[in-house]
Amino acid sequence: MSLSSLQLCLLFSSALFCLGLMAALSRSNTILVLLGVELMLNAANVNFIAFWRYGPNPEAATGVVFVLFAIAVAAAEAAVGLALVIAIYRHQKNIRLQEATRLKG
Amino acid sequence: MKPNYTELFAALSPEAALIVGALLVVVLDLTLGRKKIAEARWHAAVRIALLAVGLAGCFTFASGRPGAEFGGAFMLDALAQATRYSVLVLAALSLALLPGTARMRHPAEFVAVVLFATAGFSVMATAQNLLIAFLALELASLSLYVLAGFDKTRPESAEAALKYFLFGGVSAAFLLFGFSLLYGLTGSIELNVIARELGAQAASPLLVVALVMVLVAFGFKAAAVPFHLWAPDVYQGAPAPAAALIASASKVAGFTFFARLLWSGTGASSGQAPAWMLTLAILAGASLLLGNVAALAQRNLRRLLAYSAIAHAGIMLLGVMTGTRFGPGALLYYTFTYGLATVGTFGVIAIIERAGRCQDLDDLAGLYRRSPLLAGCLLMFVLSLAGIPPLAGFFGKFLLFSQALRLTGLTGPAGWLAIAAIALSAVALYYYLIVLKRAFVTPAVAGTEARIAVPLKPALALLLAAALLLALGVFPSSALRLVT
Repeated sequence: MSLSSLQLCLLFSSALFCLGLMAALSRSNTILVLLGVELMLNAANVNFIAFWRYGPNPEAATGVVFVLFAIAVAAAEAAVGLALVIAIYRHQKNIRLQEATRLKG
Repeated sequence: MKPNYTELFAALSPEAALIVGALLVVVLDLTLGRKKIAEARWHAAVRIALLAVGLAGCFTFASGRPGAEFGGAFMLDALAQATRYSVLVLAALSLALLPGTARMRHPAEFVAVVLFATAGFSVMATAQNLLIAFLALELASLSLYVLAGFDKTRPESAEAALKYFLFGGVSAAFLLFGFSLLYGLTGSIELNVIARELGAQAASPLLVVALVMVLVAFGFKAAAVPFHLWAPDVYQGAPAPAAALIASASKVAGFTFFARLLWSGTGASSGQAPAWMLTLAILAGASLLLGNVAALAQRNLRRLLAYSAIAHAGIMLLGVMTGTRFGPGALLYYTFTYGLATVGTFGVIAIIERAGRCQDLDDLAGLYRRSPLLAGCLLMFVLSLAGIPPLAGFFGKFLLFSQALRLTGLTGPAGWLAIAAIALSAVALYYYLIVLKRAFVTPAVAGTEARIAVPLKPALALLLAAALLLALGVFPSSALRLVT
């Protein structure tokens, strides 16, 4: 069975998305969870680029524009996330998610 | 497409007013407000922000030419306009709660971020294009994460914000991945083109994956089971005015946006029931059941409100299902009146917190003696949440349930869900009445009998919310005419 380039790209992005999700769900270090979320976002970006490159009308550049905005959003999200990591570090002196248990019930 | 920026500015002038207002608030606070005391800075910031929100309302009224704008990127239909009004009213009420109740530092920053979030909600209401929708959703979400963690003195606030952020970040990634698949399937990011293309092609596994991913993000935004875990923690930990915004305006905008996405974007597949209907029914049923049952066990007032929000999200999902045939009126009416009641309840919490603590149900004890005004307002809000006539909550439920029963009768999931929701409303009445019993019957604990002074602006906001609930409940048809 031979795969087309688009299929290979989609396989790659799905693998990246799953890896990111696994990291986001299983890591206890908050920064590593953030990295997982970034991987998931970038998997979607790979999808956009692949669909744009191998799609019916690549001259419209929709996918590329979407990716540019998505990268900017991901950067903003990382900034907010790291700020929140600092906020939590100030209170509990570490960034382990298991110890963020003040709120429950 | 030749872009016409004059038209674009006319269409988006409300959002422009909000952003300019936000920048003005920060600049004026940094220049003129440096030497003032915190109380005066709060009042000044809120006054400018309310002015900006009012201007945005006027611009919304003036930008009334319905139709697609800017090559189909924005849609200014009745639903968008009504959602914009609702979001602006809810944001104004949340802002008016701030003076005299918030004890956080950096008033201008808080108010500015509220305005940014409101601009995000407002764009979400009009977005007709996946890119615009994603950007608006992220603008609103990132602002809300910041607001949830704004109280730097309390570790609970930081923890709530972190949990909200992590859940939200993962759901945003799901949404973006789903959008990328929709783009791949149809070659376009415009909702009407997507609808046309999807209607022309047979259902594919890729479409199912895309829909599931979008629904995961929707479930998170709506706090539907099983994506609800953030809600109780955020409602408990966030500062009360931030929680008011998260629980109200964000819900209204989120439901409008996702309903539009599902209805026009992916629902128009050749007349039959859309593929997402059953998934939505499962989410709605689980939310109704878990929300109502878990709320019974709560000792913390804010967590109780969060679980009741999860139950209400179940009813709103039912509204998304019925909206395919009966239009968006009932859904928007329900989310808006729910938002009013929630803003009001969090407002009462915020004012009680001035005088002391307001986390547990027991902290409400003796509220009737401590402040009859607050107790009276709380009565209106909680009874509206419970759905007691003549308040708006009753009519919203009535409208949604009757539509759900008319949709397929008892042959489809919607009818059975409506019956389950009616039965579970009785359960809900129990925990709402427990809240009211604490406020009206239980005597105050020794040491906290002091009367609560209610500042002017928050009092006016509470009275306005209560009056709106009553007016919308008595004259629902005039509000519904705005949407249809």
